[in-house]
Amino acid sequence: MINNFLRYSIIFVLLILLQVLLFNNIQFSGYVNPYVYLMFILILPVEIQSWLLLLISFLTGFLIDLFSGTPGMHSSATVLAGFIRPFILRIKSPRDGYEAGSNPSMFMYGFRWFLGYSIPIVFIHHFALFYLEVFRFTDFFNTLLRVLLSSLFTITFILLLEFIRKGR
Amino acid sequence: MRNLLNFLARYNSLIIFLILEGIALYLLSSGNSYHNTRIVKATRGFAYRFEQIVSSTRNYLYLKQVNQTLAMKNAVLQNQMENIVKSRDSLFFLVDDTIHFQKYIHTSAQIVNNTVNRQKNFFTVNKGRNHGLAVDMAVVSDDGVAGIIVACSQNFSVAMSLLNVDFRLSARIRSNGYFGSLAWDGANYRFAVLSEIPQHVTFGIGDTIETTGYSAVFPEGVMIGTIADYEKSGGDFYRIRVLLKTDFKKLHYLDVIGDLTRNERLELEQQFQ
Repeated sequence: MINNFLRYSIIFVLLILLQVLLFNNIQFSGYVNPYVYLMFILILPVEIQSWLLLLISFLTGFLIDLFSGTPGMHSSATVLAGFIRPFILRIKSPRDGYEAGSNPSMFMYGFRWFLGYSIPIVFIHHFALFYLEVFRFTDFFNTLLRVLLSSLFTITFILLLEFIRKGR
Repeated sequence: MRNLLNFLARYNSLIIFLILEGIALYLLSSGNSYHNTRIVKATRGFAYRFEQIVSSTRNYLYLKQVNQTLAMKNAVLQNQMENIVKSRDSLFFLVDDTIHFQKYIHTSAQIVNNTVNRQKNFFTVNKGRNHGLAVDMAVVSDDGVAGIIVACSQNFSVAMSLLNVDFRLSARIRSNGYFGSLAWDGANYRFAVLSEIPQHVTFGIGDTIETTGYSAVFPEGVMIGTIADYEKSGGDFYRIRVLLKTDFKKLHYLDVIGDLTRNERLELEQQFQ
């Protein structure tokens, strides 16, 4: 339990630092802004209480907001991601259920499962985030393009990090 | 009471979700408006120190380029100085009145936090009220227009970048003097859109766009960019895409320009509005 807590704390700090120091500075043509910190929400244990999940989501988003000077934007999108995660997990649940005490990792449930699990969450998070940022529906498709491209990059980076995590 | 408890237990995650989402949306709605010092509050303190480390590293890597531009600027200033000294020889002027001829006051500043990938971009500079900066001063890079100061604390200021969909600027075509309104369309950080230029005006691709002195913020004739392409839009106006001279991704050293006669001018103008 303590061990688990420590491990997640380290991953949390690493992901936040990675996001703030590296990915917030990737400004590739204004269309690609990967938000890799979302990975933390994805890899929390399957059996986590939903209220705790929501609180952690809020905290994560709030920290990112603090560092990027956008009050509330990341918080709301990440809370939304935390809220829909249990539903996605239920839809994607394997035939004989999740193993007790496991976390949704590629190592545990396979590449295809992980892809199918992370794509909807990342997409919904980015969708909420980018439309909250623009806050209007003119240039709807332009924003949608940004959502799609950024989601693609976020998922790529999350998969890469997941491979690194698998290596440990 | 029992029913209520049951209800709360059943929908607890939905309720927490709604509460947290409510808090987030409240923060969002109260924090992102135009002249809001919350941005300053958010960047101050802990997060702030962190950004300073990042930006000082970044500045170090750009020292060579900065040196070059500074040397060039120095040369230009020296030339201007020569002109002034010469012209003063033949004129009467009052020695102890230092600001009589001075309309603008320049302060150099460094950028400590900048974004270009949002729809509403702001940047922070490392000088504030203590250094004489105030809200509504113009921010100019070595190349051209960069933004307008929207909030000041003791030692820092936040400026609204030209790359902000709320930013409006009165701009004109240098070759013929027709002026219109310049704004960013939120798409590409290299281009802005100049509208309200009537269709009988002739201009060519590559013509210079500069500021007018109408807004009492920017001095007249500061370079904004060049015409990249244009199309006829709706009524009788052109919609001109302007390639910005300032590259916002490599913005480091800035010049903040305050208009010393601004208040006098605004007071006079207000009497007729």
